[in-house]
Amino acid sequence: MSAPLPVLHILVALADGERHGYAIMQDVVARTDGGVRLGPGTLYGSIKRMLHDGLIEELDERPDSDDDDVRRRYYRITPRGRRIAKEEIGHLATLVRHARAAGLVPTR
Amino acid sequence: MPRADRLYRVLLRLYPAEFRGEYGREMTQMFRDRARHEPPLRVWLDVARDLIVTVPREQAHVLMNDLRYALRTIRRTPAFSAAVMLTVALAIAANTAMFTVVNAVLLRPLPFADSHRLVQVAEKNDRLNLPNFGASVLNFVSWREETRAFDQLAAIGFTSFNLSGAGEPEQFVGNRISPALLNVLGIAPVAGRGFTDAEEKPGAAVAMIGERLWTRRFGRDPSLVGRVITLNSTPVTVVGIAPAALNLFSGGDIYVPLTIDRAKEIRLNHVIFVAGRLKPGVTLQQAQAECDTIAAGMARTYPEMRDWGIHLLTFFETFVTPQLETALLVLLAAVGFVLLIACANIANLLLARATARQKEIAVRTALGASRIRLLRQLLVESVTLSVFGGLGGIIGAVWAVRAINASLPPNLLPIPEVHIDATVLAFAVGLTLVTGVVFGMAPASYAAKADVNEMLKSSRGAGPGRGRLRRGLAAAELALATVLLIGAGLLVQTFLNLQGARLGFESSGLLTFQLAPPPARYPVNDKAPLFYRALLDALLAVPGVRSAAVSSGIPFGQGNYTTSPFMTVGPSPLPPDTPVPIDWRIVSPGYFRTMAIPLLRGRDFSDRDDATMPLVTIVSQATAKKFWGDADPIGRTLHRPADSRTYTVVGVVGDVRSTTLNQESPALYYPMASRVWPLMDVAVRTDAPPATLLPVVRQKVHELDAELPLATVRTMEEWVSSSATQPRLSAALVGVFASVAVLIAAIGIYGVLAYSVNQRTREIGLRIALGARADGVVRLVVKEGMGVALVGIGAGVVTAVALGQGISSLVYGIAPRDPLTFAGVAALLSLVALAACSVPARRASRVDPIVALREE
Repeated sequence: MSAPLPVLHILVALADGERHGYAIMQDVVARTDGGVRLGPGTLYGSIKRMLHDGLIEELDERPDSDDDDVRRRYYRITPRGRRIAKEEIGHLATLVRHARAAGLVPTR
Repeated sequence: MPRADRLYRVLLRLYPAEFRGEYGREMTQMFRDRARHEPPLRVWLDVARDLIVTVPREQAHVLMNDLRYALRTIRRTPAFSAAVMLTVALAIAANTAMFTVVNAVLLRPLPFADSHRLVQVAEKNDRLNLPNFGASVLNFVSWREETRAFDQLAAIGFTSFNLSGAGEPEQFVGNRISPALLNVLGIAPVAGRGFTDAEEKPGAAVAMIGERLWTRRFGRDPSLVGRVITLNSTPVTVVGIAPAALNLFSGGDIYVPLTIDRAKEIRLNHVIFVAGRLKPGVTLQQAQAECDTIAAGMARTYPEMRDWGIHLLTFFETFVTPQLETALLVLLAAVGFVLLIACANIANLLLARATARQKEIAVRTALGASRIRLLRQLLVESVTLSVFGGLGGIIGAVWAVRAINASLPPNLLPIPEVHIDATVLAFAVGLTLVTGVVFGMAPASYAAKADVNEMLKSSRGAGPGRGRLRRGLAAAELALATVLLIGAGLLVQTFLNLQGARLGFESSGLLTFQLAPPPARYPVNDKAPLFYRALLDALLAVPGVRSAAVSSGIPFGQGNYTTSPFMTVGPSPLPPDTPVPIDWRIVSPGYFRTMAIPLLRGRDFSDRDDATMPLVTIVSQATAKKFWGDADPIGRTLHRPADSRTYTVVGVVGDVRSTTLNQESPALYYPMASRVWPLMDVAVRTDAPPATLLPVVRQKVHELDAELPLATVRTMEEWVSSSATQPRLSAALVGVFASVAVLIAAIGIYGVLAYSVNQRTREIGLRIALGARADGVVRLVVKEGMGVALVGIGAGVVTAVALGQGISSLVYGIAPRDPLTFAGVAALLSLVALAACSVPARRASRVDPIVALREE
């Protein structure tokens, strides 16, 4: 299995805690210095499929409602999601290693 | 801010309903959050990118689900699905095949560059009622000098050639063409060159060979260009190969330059076809206006052109007759009706099945599937069914088009073959999709509207709405079938009328062929008549030959059908000096006996009626009547203004149908002894079957001239029958379509009633339990069915009355609104509907009240 990039970003964002949609997006923006900006369709399209595949789950109760008064849905990573995230990131790390060895050094 | 919000919510509607329902609020919230913290331009750019990527993805996702579900349903009901697909396949195949012909004949431009700029320049004479007549060479030359509206004009003359030397001698139809013709049409030679302007002067011994002949006889040998061949016993150099498109005009295979020798031409000799290419931007009306001016000028200069004008026709008008156009459109409409009936029937089947699936649909609705979602899923199902059927239909159409090309009678269409092209494929695909939506719409919209509670509560309570819909569909099927059957009835009677038409001659037992002794060796006014005299004597000596004759054009054949204006001198019902166009033929003595055309008065021609004797003619009854009423025509004279000759009538013969079965035209005959045409028809009346005499006839011709080929060998019956090809085909095709339509419509009525009886089993059981008699129950059911049937048939009759004028040009010997046909069809279809009702009615009468009431 090879997960699409938005899925990996969401998994990483959820790795250290439950988040709602907008928070996931903000987290991804922060991590990538604004390089990746998940649109609503992309985000929720991915969430729908990840729920279906059992990579994440929706929380029944809301952990914090101090943000504002709007009801939001929160998501958290499942053990399966965590395992698959590790595998996929591992593949990517290997790929990056091979790329460096081949002289493809990412410039930032 | 709220406005941006609202806009985003509108955009959200692009997503599938269930996705929007699930995440729409969250997405709006997320949009709001971002709009609060980020510059609007960036937010909107992101939203646009997001929509473009994710809307199709989510939509496709749902569509794939629907498709998977549809495929599962199709697999679960194989017999039902196969029936639907087969019906669609048949209807699409028939429609696509028919459209292929319509596309090739009516829609596709002719195979020439910018064919919309091509026109025929014809002569016309309003006084003689000749709206579209051939042109003369001298007029063509004058037009060419004077016109500004055309890029170029080119002329085409018709002739025939004997090709000898290499292999078996053969006779070909050919054309004399202006060197400019290839330019006018915008086509290039396949090999070699076209003719040069210098070759328009008499003396150039050059020819072009048609691509078809080049392929068949010369195996596409490139070295044919430059070689010398023998045409009509004269050596001629082949300078080029003409593309196949050029034989649109006469099916020609050999082309020579149309040489112009002004001294030998007269303006009233209307023998050539003139084609012109309009200058870019010049309209037909502008060109016509210019031509009117030119014609008026010529009428002043040349007194003989007094009543003649110029008539411009588009190539489409020239090559596609209105009758062919009507026939094709009627056939396309007929086959379209079959498709509509099939759609209605499938819709009915699906409606019936929707009942069986009521529970499933109700459960899904209860589980939260939206109506839109259900509607969409049912439509995906019906479109999937029709796509499978349509694929089968396209394969069927490929096969049908191959069959059409193989069996297409020559000269029926102005093109040699029809092909499935991109337009046809697009038509088939579009038709398939529309078909699926049309037959899926009724059941889908019904299912999506249905009340969940009602459905879950009862297992068989279909609302009255659906019953009405089903009955309406069945009535519509019958209405369409009625229209088709009336059309078929009219066309079949037309065909029978044509078959029964009095020909005026006896077509059985006649063998015919064409000969074209080259004028170089057989001058038309001395050696050629002698050759035919010798040939007829030789043929008469053959055992089994009863008589033999030659004619410049036998009825229904491919000979010369020539019309000239004639005037009479002396007392006549006509105003003095009125020219009347009369078909004329050159015939040998014994022609009328051979054809069994009755000699009504006077005498036949004899061998003594040659150039040394006074000019004589034999006229047909219609001609005599036209010029002299009931007076005795023998000894009267006819004057031909074209060459200022006067002929004395020596005999009157019966009228003959000679070009089309549906009309008789006045005719006039000249004796052969003084002059023949370069191409003549020979007719041999035999005691044995005509074809058995062919070998000995061929031998007799070759004993006289071994280089002379026999061309277009046919029996007279073949000629007559091929002239009725188009009506026969129309009648047969519409007949087949109508039969299919009636069958489907009968199934439709049966289905509606069977379903209704099934639904009312309880009620009927109750009636029987309460003492209703079997015949009462039968009457109840039949009444319901016949109510539907009579509404349908009535609507069909009304529609057919309205459409009647549309096929008036296709019918002969019968009114397009013939009351007997209408009544007969209505009665026949009522009987069919009654038969379709009887089965469910009988079943209803046998309902066991105990079983019926115990159910549920």
